[in-house]
Amino acid sequence: MSYQRTTTYYAARRTQNWSRNQNTTRYVSAVKLGPVAHTVLIALMITVLGLIYLTQATRATSYDYEAQRIDNQIAELSDQKQDLEVENARLTALETTKNSSVAREMTTPASSEYVTE
Amino acid sequence: MKLELVKGSRSRVLAALLFAIMVIFAGRLFYLQVIQYGYYAGLAKGEQQKRLSLPAKRGEIFALEHGTPVELVMNETVYTVFADPQIIKNDEKVIVAVQEIAGGNAVDDMKARLANKESRYQILATKLSRVQAKKLKEKDLSGVGFQEVSQRVYPEGGLAAQTLGFVNTDGTGTYGVESALNDRLKGEDGLLVAVTDISDVPLTIGNSNINIPAKDGDDIVLSIDRNVQAKAEQALADGLKRTGATNGSAIVIDPQTGHVMAMATLPSYKPGEYYNVPDAAAFNNVPTSSPYEPGSVIKTFTMATGIDKGVVSPDSTYVNTDYIKIEDRVVSNAEKGHTGTITLQSAMNWSLNTGFVTVAQRLGNGTEINQQARDTMYDYFHNRFHMGEETGIEVAGEQAGEIVPARSSEGNAVRYSNMAFGQGMNVTMVQTAAAFSALVNGGKYYQPTVIAGVIKDGQLIPQDIKAPAQIIKSTTSDQLRIMTRTARATLLNNGDKPGYTIGGKTGTAETIVNGAYTDKQTVGSYLGFGGDETARYVIMVQVSGKNLPMQGARHAMPIFTDISNWMLDYLKVQPKE
Repeated sequence: MSYQRTTTYYAARRTQNWSRNQNTTRYVSAVKLGPVAHTVLIALMITVLGLIYLTQATRATSYDYEAQRIDNQIAELSDQKQDLEVENARLTALETTKNSSVAREMTTPASSEYVTE
Repeated sequence: MKLELVKGSRSRVLAALLFAIMVIFAGRLFYLQVIQYGYYAGLAKGEQQKRLSLPAKRGEIFALEHGTPVELVMNETVYTVFADPQIIKNDEKVIVAVQEIAGGNAVDDMKARLANKESRYQILATKLSRVQAKKLKEKDLSGVGFQEVSQRVYPEGGLAAQTLGFVNTDGTGTYGVESALNDRLKGEDGLLVAVTDISDVPLTIGNSNINIPAKDGDDIVLSIDRNVQAKAEQALADGLKRTGATNGSAIVIDPQTGHVMAMATLPSYKPGEYYNVPDAAAFNNVPTSSPYEPGSVIKTFTMATGIDKGVVSPDSTYVNTDYIKIEDRVVSNAEKGHTGTITLQSAMNWSLNTGFVTVAQRLGNGTEINQQARDTMYDYFHNRFHMGEETGIEVAGEQAGEIVPARSSEGNAVRYSNMAFGQGMNVTMVQTAAAFSALVNGGKYYQPTVIAGVIKDGQLIPQDIKAPAQIIKSTTSDQLRIMTRTARATLLNNGDKPGYTIGGKTGTAETIVNGAYTDKQTVGSYLGFGGDETARYVIMVQVSGKNLPMQGARHAMPIFTDISNWMLDYLKVQPKE
């Protein structure tokens, strides 16, 4: 009895893709790892994970410095704004206005009256 | 090949020894990391974690100017420069730099301070501005440090000093609004608990960080009008100069709301330099904290009581003999000669004590100030006019004064006859002015207040005005307006701007010196109102001085007139045709 592979058959098999009752094969590695190798690998994994954690933590900390820098900038600008507000209040204070050159040039009206519309 | 430790061999002993050491290590680690976990975790947290207080900004205080808020009290960050003399090697370089930049803010004895090498902390300059501090920091002087200090700054100088009060070195409001509203102004400090680096920069590592933001204090807007306050202070200062009085106070109230527009007291001080004030009496806000016997201005209240009870009217008459006997005492008029049958309006015009003792008698059986008369007077003076009790105004140190109850042993006919013309009682100016507002505004009593609202997101949020109480009939108020207007016109010719309704009453009260009343030292007062058909303002003025016989008409009334005429223009009150 002989079998002939047809292209049609091959294509059908390829398209079935884990269809029902399909046989699967499990390959077992020929390389065997001993307890020492396992230990070393676990240690390496822990080290890598630790490094990843440290990298992330450091990155978060770098954001803290950035946030602190921005906070300081906000505080500085806020102080400047406050200084300007104080200066503005001083310049528009009654005493300052009264002693200004404009005020000194003013004269008292001889008479005034209300006009009804 | 299979490796095997031979029993009793040195290798086996070594292995056992190593195992034992490992067990000890493991045991020790278990003890440290499991059993003592809490202790060491706490120690680590204490090392790594900082607890930082986030200071709340103290609220600012505003006045009004035609309804628009203007700054009265603000905050400013200033810097104190200090040095560690042990670190500084070149004293001269530091002295030159600090003197050049700090100028007058540098301490005088800087050289001596830096020469004290045993000290680790010496102040070199105080109250440097941010710009000055920045310039000095740029000099990069080794051993010189800076400390930020927030301080109150008063752009208007000493304006409304006693009403404002000040903030002491502990950051606590003292006297005035600063003290009364300290809780609202100071806000609440925040808290930051976080792992920090060596420079105290908070880091987001750790799982027990706490960040509670600071809650800044309220920005409070006072009902004090900056221009009215300045005018009241100026008029008062001019008045004291003119009369020679050493002390004076004035209060201006809006009778339609109870808002205090100005409160002035002289002598005054600058809140920014409160530490230079030699006499703490200057801190007292006299209109709220110094009760006194106001004298004849109270006759308006006695008359209001009589009219409201329906026992007298302005046209009611009595026989004036310049004297009236109450039990074993004789009450006499200060102004004599208007004898015969006269009206109570005349008694008001000439401020005749006998007229108002008569009103008090008519509140009883007509011939004596009996229990019924005293009960009625107490009901009006204390319960309706709120004299002798705190008004609740938001200025620290308010005093209640005293109206002696009619049912107490001291509340006898003699006392109540004196109360009819403003002696034998203690009231504050704010009580009197608030009650007088009701006498001229249609009979509604508004609780006096200095708060107009708060600033939120840059907008003025007005404070609700408490609903007024109708304490006398509106018809009584109408008659009082006419009576006080006539009384004022009797004393003053051509002093007021024409076309307005201005009324008022003088008061000259004897004071007690060495346990006895004397007319050698009197307090002059004037209480009045102004406006058009509606009373737009109430002003009360008081002047006094040691051994000075101050009179209401001569010394206090001109100050009222000065403020009143100015108020008419400021409020743009139109005169009648």
